[in-house]
Amino acid sequence: MSPDLQAAWQAVIHHPLFGIGITLATYQLALAAYERTRWPFLQPVLVAMLMVIGILYLCDIDVREYLDFTNIFVLLLGPVIVALAVPLYINLRHIRQLWKPVLQTLLIAGVIATLMGSGLAWLFGASEEMQRTLLTKSVTSPFSILLASEVNGIPALAAIFSILTGVIGAMLGPELLRKINVTHPAAVGMAMGLTSHAVGTARALQEGEKCGGFAALGMSLIGVATAVMLPVAVSIIT
Amino acid sequence: MLLRGLTLLILMQLLGTAINVLLLPMIPGQVLGMLLLFAWLMIRGEVSAPLNEAASSLLRYLPLLLIPTAVSAVLFIDTISGQMIAVSAALLLSVVLSLLFTGWLMNKLIARQTRQEEQI
Repeated sequence: MSPDLQAAWQAVIHHPLFGIGITLATYQLALAAYERTRWPFLQPVLVAMLMVIGILYLCDIDVREYLDFTNIFVLLLGPVIVALAVPLYINLRHIRQLWKPVLQTLLIAGVIATLMGSGLAWLFGASEEMQRTLLTKSVTSPFSILLASEVNGIPALAAIFSILTGVIGAMLGPELLRKINVTHPAAVGMAMGLTSHAVGTARALQEGEKCGGFAALGMSLIGVATAVMLPVAVSIIT
Repeated sequence: MLLRGLTLLILMQLLGTAINVLLLPMIPGQVLGMLLLFAWLMIRGEVSAPLNEAASSLLRYLPLLLIPTAVSAVLFIDTISGQMIAVSAALLLSVVLSLLFTGWLMNKLIARQTRQEEQI
């Protein structure tokens, strides 16, 4: 490359907007790929993440430089968490006559879903940091990122674990539940929402409106309950 | 409209941050902000149009906002490389088991409630 072209190229890839630009572009590509295939593993976040990492590697840009310039996205996750009060409020109105089974399931299954990941990680010999990160996998990513830093886990990995949890639940959930004769739409929905949050809820919606409604409710409830109780529990234990 | 809702969301988060520092250091400011907004919705009894617009726009673009955080995972490749199998196995098994348990429990509890209602 001629020196002029080289200088222009460097100015482009180190421009403060380059990071935001590639994030927007890869997201749209990933979203288009997802909408064409509808394959749960092609979650736009995961595909865009791989494309961004590839671009940074090819252009020889430090990941930290990219993160500095895209910090506005991370900052906006705060208002996203606040905004989750809206679906919680709307979903709570759907609960009506099943409020007792819903709250009992939330309490018992919520604790088990929260502890099982880190318990198994401990059993399989994963590090303590990883066990703490896995405590947050049952809640939607903005919560899990925040909570992972509260419990001294790794927020970046928490985001990915949450998404993978959702993908696994969405791919296997309805089929496995049918196998053990769980057919009530409210039960299927709660199971999908409580354990596989957003991706699971999207899958539950395909099973029917009631199933989707309960999945959304389960996802809202476990998110809020974990966000409030996990930091409190950790501050009491430590 | 969108901006009015967004302002309300940011205001709630800032209030949450103040409460976090003053009263409740163990609960993060964003979560307190969410609880404040929830309380506000319970009192108002409805979701106003600007708030609804801001909340649904933000949530629609949530995957986009998550990309930089997901990208930062490459900084932890060394941390995870030795325990990839343990972590993947824990993740897969725990999702399947807790999903089945949740469905089974909820199914049981619904059946019990239906039986009780029939007896009355």
